[in-house]
Amino acid sequence: MTKPILHVRNLSVHSGRRTLLDSVSLEIPHGGVFGLIGPSGAGKSTLLKSFNRMLDLTPGLRVSGQVDFHGSPLYHRSVDPDALRARIGMLFQQPVIFPGSIFANVTFGVRHHGTVRRRDLPQVAERALRDACLWEEVKDRLQLPATTLSIGQQQRLCLARTLACSPEVILMDEPTSALDPRSTAAVEELIGCLAKAITIILVTHNHAQAAKVCGRVASLSSGKLEKIRGFDLEKV
Amino acid sequence: MKRKIIDHLFRAITALCALVAASVLAVIIGAIWRKGASAMSWEFFTVQMKEAGVSGGILYHIAGTAILILTAFLACAPVAISIGLVHGVYLKREHTRRAVMLVLYILNGVPAILFGIFGMMVFVQYLGWGKSWLSGGLLLALMLLPTVTVAIVARIEGIPRGQIEAAAGLGLRQSQIVHAIYLPRSFGGLITGSLVGLARVAGETAPIMFTATIFAGATLPTGIKESPVLSLPYHIFILAQDSFDPAAGSKLWGTALTLLLLVFAFSIIALIPRLKSAVAQHHD
Repeated sequence: MTKPILHVRNLSVHSGRRTLLDSVSLEIPHGGVFGLIGPSGAGKSTLLKSFNRMLDLTPGLRVSGQVDFHGSPLYHRSVDPDALRARIGMLFQQPVIFPGSIFANVTFGVRHHGTVRRRDLPQVAERALRDACLWEEVKDRLQLPATTLSIGQQQRLCLARTLACSPEVILMDEPTSALDPRSTAAVEELIGCLAKAITIILVTHNHAQAAKVCGRVASLSSGKLEKIRGFDLEKV
Repeated sequence: MKRKIIDHLFRAITALCALVAASVLAVIIGAIWRKGASAMSWEFFTVQMKEAGVSGGILYHIAGTAILILTAFLACAPVAISIGLVHGVYLKREHTRRAVMLVLYILNGVPAILFGIFGMMVFVQYLGWGKSWLSGGLLLALMLLPTVTVAIVARIEGIPRGQIEAAAGLGLRQSQIVHAIYLPRSFGGLITGSLVGLARVAGETAPIMFTATIFAGATLPTGIKESPVLSLPYHIFILAQDSFDPAAGSKLWGTALTLLLLVFAFSIIALIPRLKSAVAQHHD
C-alpha cells in the first residue's frame, strides 16, 4: 500500500467535559473516495473538520493526538491553517452562496488569495465549472446572481468554487442531504469522476450512498471508530 | 364572546394610537407647509440672507448645514466601521461586546446640549478653534456614531455563519474574510444608519450653537480656526426667538420647510433599501 495522504493517530476532541472523538486512528489513502458513516452525534463532522483545522474556528474545543498530512503533522505550530484550507477544500451540507454573481462565486476563493491574475479569472472559472459539470448550464448567465440557481446547481457551484483553488483533498459534509434525488445522483456521479485526481472524504448517513461511491468506509459511533470496510478490496 | 370583545377593543386602541401618531405628524407638516410654502422660490435657495433674515434667501444656511452633516458623515464613517468590525469580528468575549454596545447606548442618550458644552470646552477653548465648522461637524459625528455603529453591528450579526465558514474553508485569512465579507456587508449598514442618523442630527441646534454656527456674516469657510458657518436650525432658532417682523416670519417658516424636506429626503432614501429587502424576503 502506498503512503496515506492523511494519517490519523489517537485523535481525541473534547468540548468541555464532553468527548466528541475518542482516540480515533485511521489511514486515508491517496485518491478515491473515503467515506465516514455513522448516526448523528457520532463525531463524523468533527473528524472531517479536524482534517483542515476547521475545528480551530470553534472556540472551546481541545484537540489531542496527531493528524499527518503527507507525513507531516497538521497540528503543529509551523502549519498555517489558512494555507492548509486552500489545499484541503470543504463542501458543506447546505450550499453556501455569497452575495453576487455566479462568476463572483466561482472565483471567490482564488480572487481573494491573489494567486491568479485578474485576466486569467474567466479561464479558471470556466475550468472549475466544467469540472463541476455546471458549465453548460450557466455559461450564458455568469453575471446573474448565484441565488437564481436551483439548490442542486448551487451545491455544484460551491464545488466549482472549491475546485478553482486546486485542492488536493475535498472534505464533503453530507453534501447531498439538502438535494432532491436527481441532483443527488448528479453530485454522486461527479464525486466519482473527481476522485480520479483528488482525494475525497465524504461524510454520509446513507449506507447505500456509501456503498455506491466510496472505496472505503469508516464507521463511527459515539466518537469511536468501529470498523473500516473496503468496497474496493474484499476486506481490509 | 368575551375574548372577541377584548380582541376588538385591543385592535381599536392600537388603531387609535397609530392614528394619533400619524395625525400629529400630519398637523406639523400641514402647518409648516401652509406657512412656509409662500416663502419657497428659486430665489430663496440661491440668494444669501439680507436685512437680518427679513429678506433674501438661505443659500449659505443650506451650504452651512450641508458642510456640517458632510463633515459629520466623513468623520463618523471610519470610526463606526472600525467599532463594528471590532465588535463583530475581533472581540470574542460576550461581555466585552456587551460593554461596547452599552457605551454606544449611553452615548446615544447624552443630551445634545451637553455635546455643545463639551465642544465649547474642547474645540472652542482648549484647541482654540473659536467657532468653526469643523468642531460642529465633529460633534454631530459623535452624535451620529451610535446610530451608525448599531446599524453596522446589526448587519454584521446578520451575516450567516455558513458564509464565514465557507470563506475560511476556501483558505481565506481573517483579514481577507473581513475584506471579502464583513466590509461589503458593513457598507449597507453605514449608508442606512447614516441617513437615519443624519436626518436627526441635521436639525440639531444645541451642539452647534456655541461651537460652529452664527446668525449672520458667514459665507463659506476658508480655514479651521474662527470659520463659522450659517445653518438652517440656528436660523430658525434665532428668527423664532427674536423677530417680530411678519416678513421674517415667512422666511422662518420657509427655512423650517426646507429643513423638513431635507430630513424627509434622508429618511425616504434610507427607507428604500429596507422596502426592497422586505419585498425580497416576501418573495423568498
